[in-house]
Amino acid sequence: MLKKNKTILATFATSIALSYSGAVIAQDEQEIVTVVKVTGENWFTRMEEGVNAYGEEHENITTRQVGPGRADAAQQAAIVQDLISQGVDALAIVPMDPSTLEGVLRRAMGRGITVITHEADNLQNTHLDLEAFDNAEFGAHFAEDIAECMGYEGKWTSFVGALGSLTHVQWADGGAEYMSQFPDMELISPKNESFNDSNRAYDLAKQILRSHPDIKGFQGGSAIDVIGIGRAVEEAGLEDETCVYGLGLPRDTSAYLDSGAVDGIAFWDPKDAGYVMNILANKVLNGEEVTTGDDLGVSGYENVTVTEGPGEGKIVRGQAWVDVDASNWSDYPF
Amino acid sequence: MFSIKDAEFLFLAGINAMLVVAALVLVGSQFMTPYNFQSMGTQVPELGLLALGVMLAMISGRGGIDLSGIALANLAGVVAFQVAPVFVVLDTAPVEYFLTFSAVALIVGVLGGALNGALIGYAGMTPIIATLGTQLLFSGIAVGITGGSALQLGYIPVIDNFGNMPLWGVPRTFILFILIALTLAVILRFTRFGIHLFLMGSNPTAARFAGVRVKSLWFRTYLLVGVLASIAGIIIAARTSSIKWDYGTSYVLVAILISVMAGVRPEGGHGRVVCVVLAATALQILSSLFNFMQFSNFFRDCAWGLLLLLFLANTRIDWGAYLPSALWSRGESKP
Repeated sequence: MLKKNKTILATFATSIALSYSGAVIAQDEQEIVTVVKVTGENWFTRMEEGVNAYGEEHENITTRQVGPGRADAAQQAAIVQDLISQGVDALAIVPMDPSTLEGVLRRAMGRGITVITHEADNLQNTHLDLEAFDNAEFGAHFAEDIAECMGYEGKWTSFVGALGSLTHVQWADGGAEYMSQFPDMELISPKNESFNDSNRAYDLAKQILRSHPDIKGFQGGSAIDVIGIGRAVEEAGLEDETCVYGLGLPRDTSAYLDSGAVDGIAFWDPKDAGYVMNILANKVLNGEEVTTGDDLGVSGYENVTVTEGPGEGKIVRGQAWVDVDASNWSDYPF
Repeated sequence: MFSIKDAEFLFLAGINAMLVVAALVLVGSQFMTPYNFQSMGTQVPELGLLALGVMLAMISGRGGIDLSGIALANLAGVVAFQVAPVFVVLDTAPVEYFLTFSAVALIVGVLGGALNGALIGYAGMTPIIATLGTQLLFSGIAVGITGGSALQLGYIPVIDNFGNMPLWGVPRTFILFILIALTLAVILRFTRFGIHLFLMGSNPTAARFAGVRVKSLWFRTYLLVGVLASIAGIIIAARTSSIKWDYGTSYVLVAILISVMAGVRPEGGHGRVVCVVLAATALQILSSLFNFMQFSNFFRDCAWGLLLLLFLANTRIDWGAYLPSALWSRGESKP
């Protein structure tokens, strides 16, 4: 009985609501919502700055960022589904796990919602995927710094978060590829797996220092690898003899950058990535094409490369890495 | 005259209605679209099935609970993904592929459930410890098989239609969920298994002396819980067109919350299927409402915790004692 009442009520409500809906939709404000992996992490708090900045700088566009309270692909999918029901104009998504969102995003695109993704170059159901840089180039960039610092000779090694982390392996391979042009550079026990654990990275680095006391170069993979390596180097008192470069976050790595145990880190600025995702969303909404060589007006994305993605969509790549060392880490508050 | 169980049912139905009205007032037209109801409908079944599993475990008494549900669901998907291509080629026979996939997943559910049942029923382990152990075991095996990465089913129209597309305006997975709930309600109410289960949950010792084979009953209960989990696994695979070992890690607690909201007593012997279904839909409407109103997702976690405590407290307080006895007659613990 109660259930029946509910249905009647809902139908009644819908009919009232429909008569009002005209007024709501009449605004031509475009709504772009950015969905991140998890709320509250420094990385995504920084990204939110970029997302909000885009909304403030552009009239007729509202932007906001949402994300699950916990890093769970199911919660992220639920948020995206509810956003589709709300009928937002565009979604800019940093998927927790790209493949779990395929079905949801297919429906989003089916309902005419623009889908932009980030760090998901294997995703099929997207209009544009934004990558900060080409992964092999990023690895080569570290190798360049290491080689220069080592004087183009000596032993070096590389770390990855896990062999299953595609990007980390691409960075390590890109580095090794670049190093192969210098005959005096010797790569020993490459791709050490730290399992995204700085203690594990520390243990591995200590072992390597013990078995190869003359090692000079370390290339970090996951963002915490340099922290573990830095600690091992500092304990061994080899700050000046070694060259440690890798992905890292300024705040977390600052102590080792100051002591010289870590010589330099690079990363891509999530603020810019958030901003550029919204630029791309706006472009797609306006029916503009993005092509190779386009200048998106943000440092690092002034000359983007556009390639075909695995599905209908395209991949947009910048050269947006930011180099940080002891002198400028304090410019980045994350 | 109301009995306790009718009060529970009316209370939950009322909450559902109230939430819909609240959504109408607070969000308005956007919320009332058929699309939104379909979208919420596709989100309910996987959690609902896990909650039904938790309900069965709780009814069976002795601190019954199932923490391994979502881990088993993911493991079922992982194994089915590996085994199904051995029997059927996906490209030529997608329907048969999906049937094989489902069959393998169900077998994994039976095996996983049997393991839980054996540990709890025959080895006499405490359910919370046993299922915590099997949860780690199941997800460990799933990680071992996949290496930690997601398995891509890809876009298979048959499977995607099942997972995401509505039939006569109702999501197919939701129809399946309701059918399963109905079957379960009938089993609990009319079969010997059901009647014995409630008897055992209220008082295992009395049940044993009354001639109920309690060990075997516990075993069969957890076996059924495992099967429900594997069906959730099939739905997850269809909905996301992929399988990942750590999908839905937050579901463990939400499934328990749904059962407790539904008035299932953690002490055993009491619980109703229809209440669990209503609690699941209420929680889904509330969750979507939060998303529409752009509440922080931390607030949602906090709200879930508060709800859990509130409903637990509610079952502890005997409201009947505060009302004239003419209005209340204590209901029996029946489904």
